[in-house]
Amino acid sequence: MTSSHQNRARLAAVALAAGALVLTACSGGGGGGGDGKESGPATDKNKSSNFTIGTEADSKGPAPAVPGAKKGGAVTVLQRDAFNHLDPGQIYYSDMLTAQMLYNRSLTAYKVEPSGKAKVVGDLATGPGTASDGGKTWTFKLKDGLKFQDGSPITSKDVRWGIERLYADFETDGPMYIPQWLSGDGTSFRKALPDGPYKGDHLPASVLDTPDDKTVILHFRKPHADTPFATAMPNIGAVKAAKDTQRKYDNAPFSSGPYQVADFKVGKSLTLVKNPNWDPATDPIRHQYADRFDVSFGHQLQDQTRRILAQQGADKNAMSFSNAVDPGMTQNVLNDAGTKARRFVEIQPYVDYISFNMTRLKDVKVRKALAYAMPNGQILQQNGGTTAGTIATNYLSPAMDGYQATDPYGKKAHPAGDTEKAQALLKEAGKIGQEIVYAYRNTDVEQKVAVVVTQALQKAGFTVQKKEVDANTWRTAISQVDNKFDIYRTSWGADWPVPSTVVPPLFDGRQIADGSQNYGHLDNPKVNSEIDRINAITDIKQAAPQWMKLADKILTEDVPGIPTFYNRQFSLWGSGLGGIKYQPVYGTVDPTSVYVK
Amino acid sequence: MTSPSQAAAAGAGGSSPLDPLNITPDGGGDSGKLVGRSPGQLMWRRFKRDRTGVISAFIVLFFLLVAVAAPLISKLYGKDPTTTYGLDRPGLLNEFGYPIRPNGGISGDFWFGIEPTLGRDVFTQLVYGIRTSLLIAAIATLLCVATGVLIGVTAGYIGGRTDYFLGRFIDLLLAFPSQLSFVAFTPVVYSLFVSPEKETPTYLRVMTLILVLWLLGWMGMARLLRGQVLSLREREFVEAAKVTGASPWRIITKELLPNLWTPILVQTTLMLPTMVTVEAGLSFLGVGIVEPTPDWGRMFKAGADYYESDLTYIFFPGIAMIIFVVAFNLLGDSVRDAFDPKTNR
Repeated sequence: MTSSHQNRARLAAVALAAGALVLTACSGGGGGGGDGKESGPATDKNKSSNFTIGTEADSKGPAPAVPGAKKGGAVTVLQRDAFNHLDPGQIYYSDMLTAQMLYNRSLTAYKVEPSGKAKVVGDLATGPGTASDGGKTWTFKLKDGLKFQDGSPITSKDVRWGIERLYADFETDGPMYIPQWLSGDGTSFRKALPDGPYKGDHLPASVLDTPDDKTVILHFRKPHADTPFATAMPNIGAVKAAKDTQRKYDNAPFSSGPYQVADFKVGKSLTLVKNPNWDPATDPIRHQYADRFDVSFGHQLQDQTRRILAQQGADKNAMSFSNAVDPGMTQNVLNDAGTKARRFVEIQPYVDYISFNMTRLKDVKVRKALAYAMPNGQILQQNGGTTAGTIATNYLSPAMDGYQATDPYGKKAHPAGDTEKAQALLKEAGKIGQEIVYAYRNTDVEQKVAVVVTQALQKAGFTVQKKEVDANTWRTAISQVDNKFDIYRTSWGADWPVPSTVVPPLFDGRQIADGSQNYGHLDNPKVNSEIDRINAITDIKQAAPQWMKLADKILTEDVPGIPTFYNRQFSLWGSGLGGIKYQPVYGTVDPTSVYVK
Repeated sequence: MTSPSQAAAAGAGGSSPLDPLNITPDGGGDSGKLVGRSPGQLMWRRFKRDRTGVISAFIVLFFLLVAVAAPLISKLYGKDPTTTYGLDRPGLLNEFGYPIRPNGGISGDFWFGIEPTLGRDVFTQLVYGIRTSLLIAAIATLLCVATGVLIGVTAGYIGGRTDYFLGRFIDLLLAFPSQLSFVAFTPVVYSLFVSPEKETPTYLRVMTLILVLWLLGWMGMARLLRGQVLSLREREFVEAAKVTGASPWRIITKELLPNLWTPILVQTTLMLPTMVTVEAGLSFLGVGIVEPTPDWGRMFKAGADYYESDLTYIFFPGIAMIIFVVAFNLLGDSVRDAFDPKTNR
């Protein structure tokens, strides 16, 4: 269902997130005596039951008022990495995904309630879409009163333009689910409309139909039950043809949301001001409390954390979409009682794994022994401890629909690895002293992880050959199918909380190729056919538990890798801000209801 | 000062009123006033009077001793640098991986505290780290000095075309950014000597480090000595030696080198601490010594990451490094003063 191209794009986002972790997670917590209890994350926000598809009633605006919210004021946003895209069609990184929520509306979107529950509701559309033809045809009706920032109405033609421009060759960085489902896998969909809509051509009505100004009909090649999630990606929205400056649109997108771009200095800052033509009655998600968002880039985590902690001047109203608290300052923040009401630690949809290269490790007992021996708790501690993540016990993130807290390898009970079981398995296989080539990215955190992994594997009876790989070539090195490594760290973040965005790309044997994400090289015909079977189920609620079952079956029978930890986001904001909540799908801070006190 | 000429003079003047017994080379047993001393002995006497120099020398010696005796210290102390005490024993590190006890976990068990996140003993880490760094720096310095002296003196003494080509060669090497070259160079060496399925052995890493520090580190010394030799070779005593038919080797070793000891020693004592910091810098960049081999430079890097929450950790490697570098530089100054008392500071 998902081609390697888009997955790579998303993976890059994960790589960035993981890179951020690596760059900054060199330490974590600290000082004398930590009391982690009160800092524990509210894990209940990530129960599978918290992700639902909403109804038409849920999709009606306006968004419920935030108690105590006030109008006016400017919000300061401190970001580490500069936004390299503003064009919604090009956005795939979590920081920009978060920013676009303020100025861009898509067909559907996630409505996050104060309790943390996330619902997919209609945003431009009146509802999450209605399926027909066995899930192959999806119909979206647009709401009344939708306007662009110049006051012109948003029609189905604008949505069509928004989708069709993704076919143009310069739109490469965003997710491509909808175009691929409409016109073909990989990059072959571009052949259907090589220049996008710019030369006057359009997709035929049999593919993308707009019978009237209010109706958008998508005709997919195969049934896709999770369409409401795919249409919630920022690039499935409205773009006004007259304002589409193609490549230049990246610096000056035309707003459909509550804010519009007033000023964008590439690499430096972004100022968002109120969009007077946005009608709150049409929007079930966003508010327009603050007058302005002043986003500036280049703030390292340490600098950013210090500023928000000190709260001098405008920093009182400071927040960050995606920057985490500097791991070295975790303890300082947690020990400061004044930060209690202005911080959170939440589980992100990113999961870290140690993949086992099945091309080289053919004995399942050896892989099982590795899985038992892996010291998940110690690996997590090197990455920053409790505020950086939580021990993973199976392949799916708790943020996934259908997730169950199964723990087949006893990771919770043995954070340092189950040495005895591993040893017994290894003895049974007659492979005591089995040589393991452990490749790691040469950064200081990964060096330390290598120390604990080596130690744990040696205790279990393995001989470990550590190979450090340059950080720049790391991703290419491990995604080569004929790599000479046995085990290596990998990570994955799902685009939406449905396991169909996790199991097929990671474990479908037909995907194995240089650069694909099947890092363990699992190619089990039974698994492949099972993937096809579950993919064909049109009800995602029904499919979710089956994905979970399949993921656990792979984990216990094939063992192409062992999950190590689920990433967490630790955010801090100024006491002058209210209405801040967690965006569980992007794993960032939701800015849509932020107000200045 | 030199006895042979005195003896010759004394022998020539047979009518001298002095008793011939008094001018035996050793000065006889009855009088200490006229004892002849070599420049080395004189230097040693002057050096002994310089209190700063002596203290610095003891500190430097102490560091060298610590480096050499690291395994012994570790054995007496009862800990080793690789065991992750903090991970193995509960109650040492909190859930963020930082020491629970104040001051970086200093206790009777862990004199310098424990390392955050991995929970190793800082004291043995430092002792072994000093060992690694000093070993690499000392060998690299010795090689650099030897090469620098050889090439510098050759270029300066022979001059002409040799000097020109050596000079350009030095320019060429000086143009290499040493750290970038190292980053580019190491993977090539490792892939040449190590199978892709085997771990790179530590000795190879150490040898590669030394090799690169050496190849790109000797030029300054050579440049300096070339200049010195250029001015020295025109002096009368060298002319005289040439006239008397001394071989170039003899002139270099007996006439020039004794006059070059001052710059060589001063440069060496400055180069060694620099090498230690360069080695630390390479580890900082991730191309030096990797975990789990303890390394002084890497301790800084870790300390820089931990200081917000565990300030104590960086103190030990940091203070040790400051003391070492200052002591070594002071020692270098004292040695120079002892050799060349005319330069007053």
